[in-house]
Amino acid sequence: MEVAVVPISEYAVRPDAQAGSDFTVAAAVRGDRRAFERLYREHVGQVHALCLRLTGRRDVAEDCVQEAFIAAWRALPRFEARSRFSTWLHRIAVNAVLGRHRGLAARLEGIMDEPADTLDRRSVEDAPPLDVEAAIAALPDGARHVLVLVGLYGFSHEEAAMELGIAVGTSKAQLHRARQLLSDRLGLETST
Amino acid sequence: MNAPSDPGDRALDASLAALPRHLPPARDLWPAIEAAIAPPAARALRPARWRYALAAGLATCAVGGLLVTRSVRQPVELASVQPLPGSRIQSLPVRAVALKEDDYRATRAALETTYQERLAMLAPVTRARIAEDLASIRQAQEDIRKALTADPGSQVLLRLYESTTQQEFDLYSTIGRTTEPVVPRTRT
Repeated sequence: MEVAVVPISEYAVRPDAQAGSDFTVAAAVRGDRRAFERLYREHVGQVHALCLRLTGRRDVAEDCVQEAFIAAWRALPRFEARSRFSTWLHRIAVNAVLGRHRGLAARLEGIMDEPADTLDRRSVEDAPPLDVEAAIAALPDGARHVLVLVGLYGFSHEEAAMELGIAVGTSKAQLHRARQLLSDRLGLETST
Repeated sequence: MNAPSDPGDRALDASLAALPRHLPPARDLWPAIEAAIAPPAARALRPARWRYALAAGLATCAVGGLLVTRSVRQPVELASVQPLPGSRIQSLPVRAVALKEDDYRATRAALETTYQERLAMLAPVTRARIAEDLASIRQAQEDIRKALTADPGSQVLLRLYESTTQQEFDLYSTIGRTTEPVVPRTRT
């Protein structure tokens, strides 16, 4: 099923700020830390929103934001001007979240008797109605990651699959599952 | 991309589209980021330069010593260095992250005494470079410590602090190992 998504461009910087942002990016690439701070101030809201929705936890999201900006600073010399800075930064943030998630999953392996997805799904089904943000946070990790990347931030299924290390078909199935869980949770009747 | 025809799907899409695009963090995360990307920290994370300088200095000493040995048949100066009494460097590398603050200070004080003695055996240029790198590491530690005061729960800062502390101890360790007395081979 094809679904309407909010394109990533709408989550990126405002068009009227683009010229100034390009100049700031160029200065940051040259090692100007004050310029990088301006970029931080400009983008931290978007990056934090992405990390918060991917992780579902405020404290973890803040750590991921810090790691993302530190990683971005170190990778800036390799930033290509033809890329959109916000898109590039979002990918770094996604990697920061997923890298942390994989590390945590590896540490928890063998400790959890029941798959995390099962626990999360049960909590979604049993709990009273929530708002959209809370319902997204309560989704199973796999479904939440795809929903946030594809459904909110406009990644294609191919891009999301590559970022998440899953098959394109799995990405589509996870989006379908996420939408169904969300609809159930929010009390929406859907055809999905 | 097709718009969904189902009212429930449209309602869900509308709900998702209405989510705010900017959600600023509850606290300012910049101080921790700034501490992490500050030049001293960045330099402290890339300690290879002093190693190269040290290796170059030691190579110079070794070649020079060999020439002296062959020409005047006397032990090279470096070979005459005796083990320092009470040296604690041999037991390194110390795992800095396993030490508590008081232990860290005590260990560092002990290591630094021997480090200064061993450092004096090196060429002035090498000494200057090593001292400069040690100063960079300590500046990074100080910057990170200040940032930690403002943000004590930051895992990023804690990891950076552990990293710089370990680098400081590794530097002491390297100086200790590379200035160990050289025993001249005797011909049978």
